[in-house]
Amino acid sequence: MPPIIANLLKIAFIGLMYLFLWLVSRSIGSHLGGDAGVPVLARRAGGKVAIITSESQAGVVAEIRGSLVMGRNEEADLVLQDSYASGFHLRFTFDDDQLQVQDLGTTNGTYVNGRRITASTLLSKGDTVQVGKTIMEVQ
Amino acid sequence: MNRIAEASLIVGSAVLAALGVAIANLSSGGSVDAQVALTFVSFVVSWGGLWVTVRRLTPGANPYLLPLASILSAVGMVEVYRLNPSLGSLQRWWLLTAAALGSLTILWLRDGTAVLRRYRYLLLMAGVLLLMSPLLPGSLPLGGVTVNGSRLWLRLNLWGDSSLQFQPGELGKLALIVFFASYLAERRQALTLVHRKVGTLEIPEPRQLMPLLVAWLASLIVMVYQRDLGASLLLFAVFMAMLYMATGQAVFPLTGVGLFAIGTAGAFQAFSHVQRRYSAWIAPFDDFEGAGYQIVQSLFAMGSGSIAGSGIGLGRPDLIPSAATDFIFAAIAEETGFVGAVGVLIGFALLVAAGFGIAVRSRDPFRKLLAAGITTVIGVQSIIIIGGVTRLLPLTGITLPFMSYGGSSLLSNTVALSILLVISQEEHR
Repeated sequence: MPPIIANLLKIAFIGLMYLFLWLVSRSIGSHLGGDAGVPVLARRAGGKVAIITSESQAGVVAEIRGSLVMGRNEEADLVLQDSYASGFHLRFTFDDDQLQVQDLGTTNGTYVNGRRITASTLLSKGDTVQVGKTIMEVQ
Repeated sequence: MNRIAEASLIVGSAVLAALGVAIANLSSGGSVDAQVALTFVSFVVSWGGLWVTVRRLTPGANPYLLPLASILSAVGMVEVYRLNPSLGSLQRWWLLTAAALGSLTILWLRDGTAVLRRYRYLLLMAGVLLLMSPLLPGSLPLGGVTVNGSRLWLRLNLWGDSSLQFQPGELGKLALIVFFASYLAERRQALTLVHRKVGTLEIPEPRQLMPLLVAWLASLIVMVYQRDLGASLLLFAVFMAMLYMATGQAVFPLTGVGLFAIGTAGAFQAFSHVQRRYSAWIAPFDDFEGAGYQIVQSLFAMGSGSIAGSGIGLGRPDLIPSAATDFIFAAIAEETGFVGAVGVLIGFALLVAAGFGIAVRSRDPFRKLLAAGITTVIGVQSIIIIGGVTRLLPLTGITLPFMSYGGSSLLSNTVALSILLVISQEEHR
């Protein structure tokens, strides 16, 4: 077999392998951006948020009627004992059986299921909301 | 990803396998023969058939696992065929058998993995018996065989001189992981009860460390009696990882690493084959015609492969002893180069990421631990053997999942993949 053909075949084999891997990774990427593949209706949020990890507030359950603001400021509806939280950190709203969370423009941000949120985000049962070192679970 | 994209990826892996076999034919001076068509057909029938089963019975299953496993097996198949065409055609039969067994697993578990949890003590017994079965005397109709100093094979003597050999430990490992998952899912609360605190480390009651000790002893037994360092390391690492995932307490992996260090030091003192492995790892060139031969050949192979490789069929990976099984990664790295080897690593990374993705999304602790356990086995096994052939870790002979030649490994990995697929489906209910 002439070397030129051998080289072309080699490139074709490796190229096909990488084309395949690229197609799969691209598809996984778009999958992550959308829904995680779990139907939301099946696990609708009940309007309660439980603090599961915190320095001193683990076990506290907040029931959200209408809206509830959490933060370090004494004026917040639920005062967070977390030095990484802002004065008024986030707002939960429960309306029409839909629980949403919104970050109030904080420095350290609010994370839903490990992802920093930029806009008002719909929550489902089992989702985690993290503020500084405090982790809450939607119930 | 829609159905058409999934189907095209499966066909794509069949094309890759056929192209590789064709290149191997041309490089050896022959012409493209029927092997190319047979390879294509066997890939379409096996992975395509498994895919059809998944789509019909578990339509919500994760769409990435099957294409990734099929591409890895395609690259492996090409290299196995190139090293030894008759092993390549045997591997095709193993692939078809594995896909059939995978389909049966999905059929059995299509209503959920809860049934596995119900039979866990049966699975524990089956797992231990399968792991220990090679210790049966070789004179029985079904007895153990010693191959390359390790006693991992079971030989079923058929009529006359014909016999069938397999490694029961591969399936035993899977049964043990199912047991670990159901045991830990039930006991994790008790395991996390804090007894006292030392600094930031939370220490559970001493008796809660018992399962760790039992696993440690079991893996030591596998190491001592079967001389199988790889399987013993793998079992212990996976159990430790699952214990940590179930409890989230650092004390378990830390104790585990301590026990592992004691076990390794003891084995080093007691067994000459462990000392040989160690010196072949630290200084392979000191005895490159003896203990270091295999690893030195592997390093030469990867070195001569350089960036883009020699081309399939144009290198000399056949110089590495057991190139088609344990050293398949070195053979692939020689013939497709650094670029191809990195491609294989990306394939494994995506497979492991998809597996952990399933575990993270699972709501039920048993399914979460089972998915994570299966994924950890695939990941740790790949790290142990790829690390071994590249001399990053001491060499312990185990197969590279989906790529190495070998029926037992392909069958058990395909069954494990099918369980992962069923778990990903269950989260859709």
